[in-house]
Amino acid sequence: MAGKRKTAPDGAHDHAAAAEVDTGRSEDALVVLPADCRMAAQAALKEELLGALKAGAIVLDGARVERTDTAALQMLVVFRRELDKCGGTLSWRGTSDALNEAAGVLGLVQILELPAIEPA
Amino acid sequence: MSAVDLTQFHKTFFEESLEGLDAMEAALLALDSGSTDTELVHTIFRAAHSIKGGAATFGFTDVAAFTHVAESLLEEVRSERRAVEAELIELLLRSVDCLRAMLARSSSGQPVADAESEALRAELVRLVSGEADATAVVAAATVAAVSGWEIGFSALPHLLQTGNDPLRLFRELQQLGRLEVVRAFLLDGAPQLADLDPSSCHLGWELRLHGDVARGDIDAVFDWLDGDCELTIKPLQAASSGNAVAATPQQAPAVVQPEAPAAGRPVRETAVASSEGGTIRVGIDKVDALINMMGELVITQSMLSDIGENFQLSKLEHLRDGLAQLERTTRELQESVMRIRMLPIGSVFNRFPRLVRDLERKLGKQVRLELHGEHTELDKTVMEKIGDPLVHLVRNAIDHGLEMPAQRKAAGKPETGMLKLNAYHEGGNIVVQISDDGAGLNRDAIVAKAQQRGLIQAGQELSDADVAELIFQPGFSTAAQATDLSGRGVGMDVVRRNVRDLGGTVSVRSISGKGSTFTIALPLTLAIIDGLATAIGSERYIVPLISIVESLRLRPETVRKIAGGGEVFHFRDEYVPIMRLHRAFACADAVTDIEQGIVVVVEDDGRRVGLLVDDLLGQQQAVVKSLEAHYQRVQGISGATILSDGSVALIVDVSGVVRLGQRRKAA
Repeated sequence: MAGKRKTAPDGAHDHAAAAEVDTGRSEDALVVLPADCRMAAQAALKEELLGALKAGAIVLDGARVERTDTAALQMLVVFRRELDKCGGTLSWRGTSDALNEAAGVLGLVQILELPAIEPA
Repeated sequence: MSAVDLTQFHKTFFEESLEGLDAMEAALLALDSGSTDTELVHTIFRAAHSIKGGAATFGFTDVAAFTHVAESLLEEVRSERRAVEAELIELLLRSVDCLRAMLARSSSGQPVADAESEALRAELVRLVSGEADATAVVAAATVAAVSGWEIGFSALPHLLQTGNDPLRLFRELQQLGRLEVVRAFLLDGAPQLADLDPSSCHLGWELRLHGDVARGDIDAVFDWLDGDCELTIKPLQAASSGNAVAATPQQAPAVVQPEAPAAGRPVRETAVASSEGGTIRVGIDKVDALINMMGELVITQSMLSDIGENFQLSKLEHLRDGLAQLERTTRELQESVMRIRMLPIGSVFNRFPRLVRDLERKLGKQVRLELHGEHTELDKTVMEKIGDPLVHLVRNAIDHGLEMPAQRKAAGKPETGMLKLNAYHEGGNIVVQISDDGAGLNRDAIVAKAQQRGLIQAGQELSDADVAELIFQPGFSTAAQATDLSGRGVGMDVVRRNVRDLGGTVSVRSISGKGSTFTIALPLTLAIIDGLATAIGSERYIVPLISIVESLRLRPETVRKIAGGGEVFHFRDEYVPIMRLHRAFACADAVTDIEQGIVVVVEDDGRRVGLLVDDLLGQQQAVVKSLEAHYQRVQGISGATILSDGSVALIVDVSGVVRLGQRRKAA
């Protein structure tokens, strides 16, 4: 399903599967990564991310992540690529040590635009 | 770290290391004989690598230091920076020997390094660090082969499904050195988010691993990814120079592969101290068979207890069926359990390529070794004891049997002599044959020597069999020059004694100019014997079937009394002494009249004795229980067994009894 076009900012809420909570700005979509953010959780996360793509600016919250794996980070990388294509932006509300460490090991910190922290 | 007692793993380490050394030796020999299979080098390297790792873990620093240098050398071979030369193979073979000795010393708690190992290590170091720099002996022990590695790693889609997460792999790499991710990227053809299957992987990486890291350590990390990724590994500084080594895991298969044929291999003689009461590797199929059998037994047991609980006479038929089934299952179970102790003789045969190679060099002979029937199985105990006699026979065959190339040529034979080892099952025995196509036994030399030693008289007529028999006499050796290999006069008699201790026989057939064949026949197991149950008074004795020549009832006129109170009888053209077992074993109520009893003629080492017993009860298999272990050593008795009615029967030690009988005859 390529080419999900970025809709107008005020249309961000028309999708039921979109992120639950709004941050201050109405066009932002927030996706909270689960504590166990590994392969098994990715099907649900994928739906959330797909929904969030419709919003122009995405905020990811990774503060709760305790466990993660390559499958999860790959999902975010693919998401990031898609977001770029449709001109969206990505920002992080929080990142856990586990998430930072894993992204550091796999060399994905920059691609995922994780807040700069001394790599592990 | 918490105090984990590592000593509990020492034995496993020794066993695995010795197996690794065996694999190394076999691969070195294959290389030596001209094989160019690169996998052989990998096998050798991996063996050295795991020994090093184990030794370091368990604190055998001398072993670790030694293998480290050897590994560095092998690393050069593996990365094709060093050619495989005869000299190198020789050095590595000596290292294998040295490591075996070092392991033996560590297992028995002696100081591990000695002058020899230090000298050899220095030699290795010299080679690794370049001949020029011989002074850097100590420093070179920690020499870095390369300053780092460049690793290209692209996942194939199914990588994650195999449970191999790059995250974990990279963490392992981080343990080895400083890992730098130069680039991480989505591979071409990675799907859109909507189509992305979370369990498929579409990532690739360019990595740099900085530091003194052995190639083998990196390979070990990627070992299990065979066919799950595309992998290139290049030395860091050579990355641009074009002589880089690229390898996919397919070319460097998992460690398990070279070990597979070695499974079930017992510990070598060098580990005698630790192999006593040691462990045994059992094929999973044998264990499964046992479990199956156990299941059957449980079913039968529950069926029987069901019948027993409310028994009616009408169920008698069921009871009989159940008991028959119980008997069958028990027998099968017994066989399965015995099979656990059975190991292929290949592990004994495996040491011969090396031995033959060394002897070839030493004696200037050319030998082609053929091994047949390596998969023939025999009891572990028998196997451990048959090694030395076989080594002796192989040495003899090469030293005495095969001629020098020139002689062979002159005799119209190919210059390369043939030595064949063959093993097969025959009846309840395993037969091992060692045959050569050499000169055969030198009849004249043997006869002359026997006369000189006073074993035979001059002019005595001797059949070929008689001559062959002479070489088994103590102190007999015809080697014109005593070499350090054989010909020290401790030869065939020791072989025969060892084989006999195992309840076996050794014989030789020789054709002058065509070669000799030594045949060893051994019982498959020492734990069960086929025996003839006999009655003496109210007691039962088992005579091993293998020693029995004939059983007969004597007529009074065939028995002669001789001086000293002994009795002999005429049997097949010779006088055989009669041994009254009831007297030897002090049995009450036994038949004392020779005509009323039965004489069982037994043979040991060509000597015969007639054992007088009351009656024969029939043939049966006897599970041997050691008397020494349960009671004490008894002369003339080799063990005991439990009969079907629960009573104990003693097993007659035929060679002991024959010796006793012969002494009487001589007296």
